[in-house]
Amino acid sequence: MLLRLQGISKRFGREWVIRNLSFALERGETVALVGPNGSGKTTLLRLMAGLLKPTRGRVEREGRALFLPNPPAFHRHLTAREHLLYDLAFHGREGDWQGALRRFGLPEEVPLAAFSSGMKKRLALVRLTLLAPDVWLLDEPETALDGEGRALLIGILREARRSAGVVLATHDRALASEVADRTLVLGGV
Amino acid sequence: MRAPRVGKAVQAPGRDGEGMGAVRRIWLLAWRDLRLEVRDRAGLLSVLAFFSVMLFIMALALGPEEEPLRRAAPGVLWVALAFGSTLLSTRAFALEVEDGTLDDLLLTPGGKEWIYFGKLLFQMFLLLPLSLLALLMAAGLFYLPLDRLLPLFLTLLLGVLGYTSVATFYAGLLARLRGREVLLPLLLFSLVVPVVLAAVRATLGLVEGLPLEEVQNWWQLLLVFDVVYLTASALLFPVVLEG
Repeated sequence: MLLRLQGISKRFGREWVIRNLSFALERGETVALVGPNGSGKTTLLRLMAGLLKPTRGRVEREGRALFLPNPPAFHRHLTAREHLLYDLAFHGREGDWQGALRRFGLPEEVPLAAFSSGMKKRLALVRLTLLAPDVWLLDEPETALDGEGRALLIGILREARRSAGVVLATHDRALASEVADRTLVLGGV
Repeated sequence: MRAPRVGKAVQAPGRDGEGMGAVRRIWLLAWRDLRLEVRDRAGLLSVLAFFSVMLFIMALALGPEEEPLRRAAPGVLWVALAFGSTLLSTRAFALEVEDGTLDDLLLTPGGKEWIYFGKLLFQMFLLLPLSLLALLMAAGLFYLPLDRLLPLFLTLLLGVLGYTSVATFYAGLLARLRGREVLLPLLLFSLVVPVVLAAVRATLGLVEGLPLEEVQNWWQLLLVFDVVYLTASALLFPVVLEG
C-alpha cells in the first residue's frame, strides 16, 4: 500500500472541507478525483502529500510523494536547465534532463518568466518524470496543455503507473476515463 | 552568474551512491537563492540605498567634528546593519512564497534542517559583503580607523551570524503570513538586542584601540549567542515549517 487515508477530516476555520474520508492507493494504480470547485480536491491532494495536516484521521505514506500544483510553481528568474538541475540535486537524483526537455519540446536556456502557462505545465511534467516519485499527486494536470501536450501527459501517466501510484484531480471526465483505474467523486460536505 | 557545479553534482553523485549529502544541498540552496536575488536586484538595491542614506544623514547630524563622529560610528553602523538587514531577512523565504515553490522544498526527502542552514548561508552571503560595504562607508563618513580590519571583520562575522540565525528562523515561521514584513522586525529585535549590543561594544573597543584581550570578552559573548541561537533555531525550524 503506497498511501492510506483513514477517516480524515479537514477544517479551515469553521468550514469543513473534507469529512471522514478513507482512501487507499496501490502501486500501479491511477485514481481520478473529480468534483465541483470547492469540493476539496486540492486540499485532499495536499493532505496526501503531507503539506497539510488533517484535523482528524491519519495519513500513511510509503515512499516519496510529489505534488504538482495548478498552476505549477517555478522560480521565474531561473532557466529550465537550472531549475531541473537544482531540483535533481535537492532530491539527490540523476536523470537525462536534456532528453526530457527535448521530448517535451522545451528550451533549456530561456528564463521561466518567458514561458507560457502550457510550457510551465510541460516543464512540471518533465520535473515529475525526472524525480520519479512513488506517489504522483497532480492537480488539474491537463489545464493549459494543447493537444500535443495532452498526449504527452497521457503518455507519462501510463509510464508512471508501471512503478508508482497516481492521483489526479481533474474536471476533464474524458481524461479521467482514459487514464484512471477508478474515480473518486467529491461532492462537498 | 553560472553554476556549472550543479550539473557536475548531478552527473557525479556522492561515493555512497545515495546522491548528495546535506552539506552539498545547503551550499546549492544558498547559491541558488543568491543567484535569484542578484537577478531580481530589488532587495539588494533597497538595502544599499538604506545604508547610504542612513549613514549619510547620521554623519551630517553628528558632524563635522571628528571625535564625536568616531565615537558614534560603531552604534550608527550596527543600527544601520540591524535595520537594513530586516529588509533582506524576509527575502530568504519571500523568494519561495512569491514564486509558490516553498512546497517543493518541503517535499524534498529527509529532514528539513538543511533548508534552514541553506537559507542562513544565503543570508550570510548577502549580508557579509553588504556589512563590509557599510563598514567602508562608515570609515569614510565617520573617520572610523580601518587599521584593525581583520578584528573588525571578525566582529562583523559574529554579529551578522547571530542576527541571521534568528532572522532566518523567524522568516521561515512567518513565511506564509500576511504582514510578515511588519511582524518580523517586532519579533526579531527583541531577541537580537544582546547581539547588537555586544557587537557595538566590540567595535567600539577596536575603534578606541583597546587591547584585543579586552575586546575578546565581547567576541566570546557574541559566540555564545551565536551558538545558542543557531542550535535553538535549527532544532525548532522543522516544527514551524509543518503545515
